[in-house]
Amino acid sequence: MDKLEVNVSFSYGERQILRDVAFSVRKGELLAVVGPNGAGKSTLLKCLVGILRPVGYVKLNGLELLSLKPKERAKYISYVPQSSFPEFAFTVEEFVELGTYATEGDVEGALRKVGTWERKNDLVTKLSGGEYQLVLIARALAQGSNVMLLDEPTSHLDINHALQIMNLLKDLKDEKILVSVMHDLNLALNYADRIIVLDNGQIQWSGKPSHLTPDILEEVYGVKAKIVDIEGLRIVVAVE
Amino acid sequence: MKKLIPLLISSILLILLGIAVGPVRISLSEILASFSLENIKIAFSSPNMLEENAYIILQIRLPRIILAYLVGLSLASAGTASQALFKNPLADPYIIGISGGAAVGASIAALYFPQYMGLFALLGALLAVITVYRIAKVNGHIPVDTLLLAGIALGFFTSALTSYLLYVGRERIHNAIFWLMGTFNGADWGDVKLVLLSSILGVGVLLFSWRELNLLLLGEESIAMGLDINLYRKIVIGIISLLTSFAVATSGIIGFVGLISPHAMRIVFGPNHKKLLPASALFGGTLMVFADILARILLKPAEVPVGIITALFGAPFFIYLLMKKKRGELFG
Repeated sequence: MDKLEVNVSFSYGERQILRDVAFSVRKGELLAVVGPNGAGKSTLLKCLVGILRPVGYVKLNGLELLSLKPKERAKYISYVPQSSFPEFAFTVEEFVELGTYATEGDVEGALRKVGTWERKNDLVTKLSGGEYQLVLIARALAQGSNVMLLDEPTSHLDINHALQIMNLLKDLKDEKILVSVMHDLNLALNYADRIIVLDNGQIQWSGKPSHLTPDILEEVYGVKAKIVDIEGLRIVVAVE
Repeated sequence: MKKLIPLLISSILLILLGIAVGPVRISLSEILASFSLENIKIAFSSPNMLEENAYIILQIRLPRIILAYLVGLSLASAGTASQALFKNPLADPYIIGISGGAAVGASIAALYFPQYMGLFALLGALLAVITVYRIAKVNGHIPVDTLLLAGIALGFFTSALTSYLLYVGRERIHNAIFWLMGTFNGADWGDVKLVLLSSILGVGVLLFSWRELNLLLLGEESIAMGLDINLYRKIVIGIISLLTSFAVATSGIIGFVGLISPHAMRIVFGPNHKKLLPASALFGGTLMVFADILARILLKPAEVPVGIITALFGAPFFIYLLMKKKRGELFG
């Protein structure tokens, strides 16, 4: 059973962005990283995938990923960046092929999995926000790695597309270790298996979504909130 | 790849046209006759023994046209690679100051070490590209405005230096002003050999690195896909400098071919360097031969420096791109 163990710290010059962020995730789990803006969530993912160079370790089944060459590391860990408007008019197929640089990846399989294979000849610049996000996920899927990191995969998406993405992640967690930064607390509460609350570069709380209490939210976000249960769904409502 | 065939055909046709055009009128049959096996043998052993027309064709026009083609091919490839490196569609070896750096190096060599023109141009180009890269980089990104400003600033500086060197050495450097404005006048087979070497090496490496060039477009994100980005940035910087410096050392400063070619080809082939790079290279060569033909016939029998021709076409095109950039439509 795949297991990812992490313990990282990271500074930009004098400023410490992440301090001893330590956790572990197993295959079959979707780990959500939540927290206020500027908490260090995106930085954490960039450290895990090697875009930034943290102090500490990122181990997959005991193998230290940070010391590997990028091409070797890409076989084990992939990354779905925060979606921004695509600058280059690659076709969908060419774009997903970029993910297969380090591996003999399966472009068709990845595109079929996210349901955009029929659009393989369309330009990524012509896709809607939701479709582009799916293609970004397909690019990471095509890499065929054991771990997939996602940075706010549902931001800017309408609720229909957001749910589509979350259901896709639900399917994927049987194949991969998933770590996703999530902006939407409600999606995190209802789809994640475990939640890490990050604030000021440190883990403030971690545990099962059902154990997250309004007190923790108030401490981290500074708002009074209620978590209400509606027919098995847990919903966060800010009360002031 | 079928789409490349029209480019290849137009390359060949323009090269033939380039051979036919010149102050001395030479008929088609005489042109063909110059390419006899016997003439080619003489051209290799003792070219001065060639008959007049054969001499003009084999020793003057042919090296000139081939040099123009190779320089165009080199600059267009360097332009395509710089646009990927800087993730910026307005990058071009001329606009970002690399040509200027190469010109300073070449001028120093022309004055003091004439046998090392290529090497000195290469050093100047490397210094220029590293400087621009350092100045323009803001938080790991290279925004258009800082890139252009850094390029312009360096351009002013290097052009002043080059002018000074050429002024100081005006008695020793023949045709300096023509060289400064870019010309293929006086090209010989030695120049061709030099640029052939640099373009085989430079364009060859780029053709094999199409995957890496594609990934460079994604910036830091590409590390997650396995690109050793720092290594490839260095390789690409080296190749751009090599291609630009040998072009500048033999033919002077010729701008905008490196800008126009990738743009025109991106419209047809898209941003994938697997197709974009060979297409730009062929287009750049063809465009340069075309510009050289214009340079020779516009003010016949006098010649216009070819750099003036490319700037007359290129600068308005550059302004058009800037306006398009303003509307957020670039790289499409």
